[in-house]
Amino acid sequence: MEWLNPYHLQVGSFVLINAILGVSIYVTLSTGQLSLGNAGFMSVGAYAAALLSTQHQVPIPAGILAGSLLAGAAGVLVGIPSLRLSGVYLAIATLGFGEVLRAILINWESLTGGAVGIAAIPQMGRVILAWASDRGFSPGSLGLQNNQFISLTVFLILLLCTILTVAFFLRLSRSRVGRAYAAIRLDERAAEAAGIPITYYKVLAFSQGALLSGFAGALFAHSTSFVSPGDFTYHRAVEILVFAVFGGSEHIFGPVFGAAFLTVVPEALRSISDYRYILYGLLLVLMMVFRPQGVIDPALLRRFRRSGKGTPA
Amino acid sequence: MFLEQLINGITLGSIYAIVALGYTLVFGVLGIINMAHGEIFMFGAFVGMLIMSKAGAPLPVAFLGAIVITAAMGLLLERLALRPLRGRPGASHLASLISTIGVSILLENVAHKIFGAGNHLFETPFAEISFKIGPVTVYLVQVVILLISLLLMAGLALWLSRTRAGKALRATAENLETAGLLGVDTNRMITATVVIASAMGGVAGVLVGMAFNYINNQIGLSMGLKGLAIIIFGGMGSVYGAMAGGLILGLSETFVVAYGSSGYRDAIAFVAIIVILLIKPQGLFGQTTAEARR
Repeated sequence: MEWLNPYHLQVGSFVLINAILGVSIYVTLSTGQLSLGNAGFMSVGAYAAALLSTQHQVPIPAGILAGSLLAGAAGVLVGIPSLRLSGVYLAIATLGFGEVLRAILINWESLTGGAVGIAAIPQMGRVILAWASDRGFSPGSLGLQNNQFISLTVFLILLLCTILTVAFFLRLSRSRVGRAYAAIRLDERAAEAAGIPITYYKVLAFSQGALLSGFAGALFAHSTSFVSPGDFTYHRAVEILVFAVFGGSEHIFGPVFGAAFLTVVPEALRSISDYRYILYGLLLVLMMVFRPQGVIDPALLRRFRRSGKGTPA
Repeated sequence: MFLEQLINGITLGSIYAIVALGYTLVFGVLGIINMAHGEIFMFGAFVGMLIMSKAGAPLPVAFLGAIVITAAMGLLLERLALRPLRGRPGASHLASLISTIGVSILLENVAHKIFGAGNHLFETPFAEISFKIGPVTVYLVQVVILLISLLLMAGLALWLSRTRAGKALRATAENLETAGLLGVDTNRMITATVVIASAMGGVAGVLVGMAFNYINNQIGLSMGLKGLAIIIFGGMGSVYGAMAGGLILGLSETFVVAYGSSGYRDAIAFVAIIVILLIKPQGLFGQTTAEARR
């Protein structure tokens, strides 16, 4: 059980949270809209969940649900005025929304703890361990140490959440809603002429992205047990964008791959870690010039599937 | 007190206007938002700081150095990050936005590697000189900032409205293809636009250094965001909108800090965007077109 160390599990947990964030920007992009406010929506979810559990003793799952819904509601509020305009306005309005939100988080000290943030948020793994211990369970019976058990629990919960999220949106992409998204992305005017209510679907996609960011934020708060405004800066928004742009924004596996790759590689190669953002910047430019659809696109996936079928079992 | 704040506001506003002009020129001609403009501006400020505070050279040399460096950066930006995306079939309108975000994050972190994350003192030789007009104290720095901004804005307005090149640029902005058919070298006009906008960013960087006395590698982001707010507020691509929007933002920020809370100063710009998007989405000076409303 040596390989199962908390550090590896923590990197794994960050991969999963980032994967959910990647999906959140993918959903919005799948209608051809760029949102730079996902870090802001993430902070809504994170702070709501953190405040509910530290100040009002709300159970963690209820807090996560409330945080996600609140972020989704914020998404509707921001989305409706800006989505009537072109994608460029949306990008800037959402960027501005994130910055206003961060100014509020820093200045409203009585509620948010100001620039210091909120500490001692109940951590999912610890809460479950305490609950299980009360019922006579000991991680030792599985051959695990306490901290291994805690990290493993968090990882597994996040894995479940990620799989459910990806499965939901994979299913969505084959539904009426998903086809409407694709139509809007390909040609907004043609979609409108074909009778698709584009504003409705654009606001829907945008709110889904916001809700998902809030969900990731709430999970983040209960995994790290500490949040501060510094976690939700413009850099976070760009990082989320890089996941989708690098991995690919035409298929849901793209941002998931992007999040996994770009989270693990800097951890594995510490020397790269110092140059992370320089690398992100180069990556964005190079991807746009040479492969704007990202590493993973539907054509690549089809090729994989075909060669998979071709090989004898 | 009120008059001094008014002067502070106008000084700040004229700098904002110059920053916003850089965005609006590029948007007007290319229809894209150059997210790297803030970082080019930041490099202008650092070049000015190195020349004036570290090497002790006079102010005009600092401006010249900042202009040369930022113009070169604008040229590189156009060649490496914008031109390869142009005219490619099927390129999304978001491609150039994302690519300039890439350049901005790259430049910000290169500056972090070179200059570190801390504040750098930006010393202006005549920073302490002030004079009194009646009860009001005016600093020489403020007068210089205001004069340079006004000169720059007037020069730009004249160049755009009166010269052949300005006409070609306006034609390119109006319709790229038609201008090309009528014999305008549109690629050259686009390059010229990005270079001029970047050089204006360089000048604005030095002005900001003079006004605030310190700079760091984050000013590109914070000033850039304000510039973006101003062009939405003033109307995308509108030169006069950028000028008026800059002044309005500078004045409102100064008065909110003087008579209200300083913590929310940086949020004003974005509250203004959200309000304007709700009430008059095309901006104060923007034109309502079917396309802009989409």
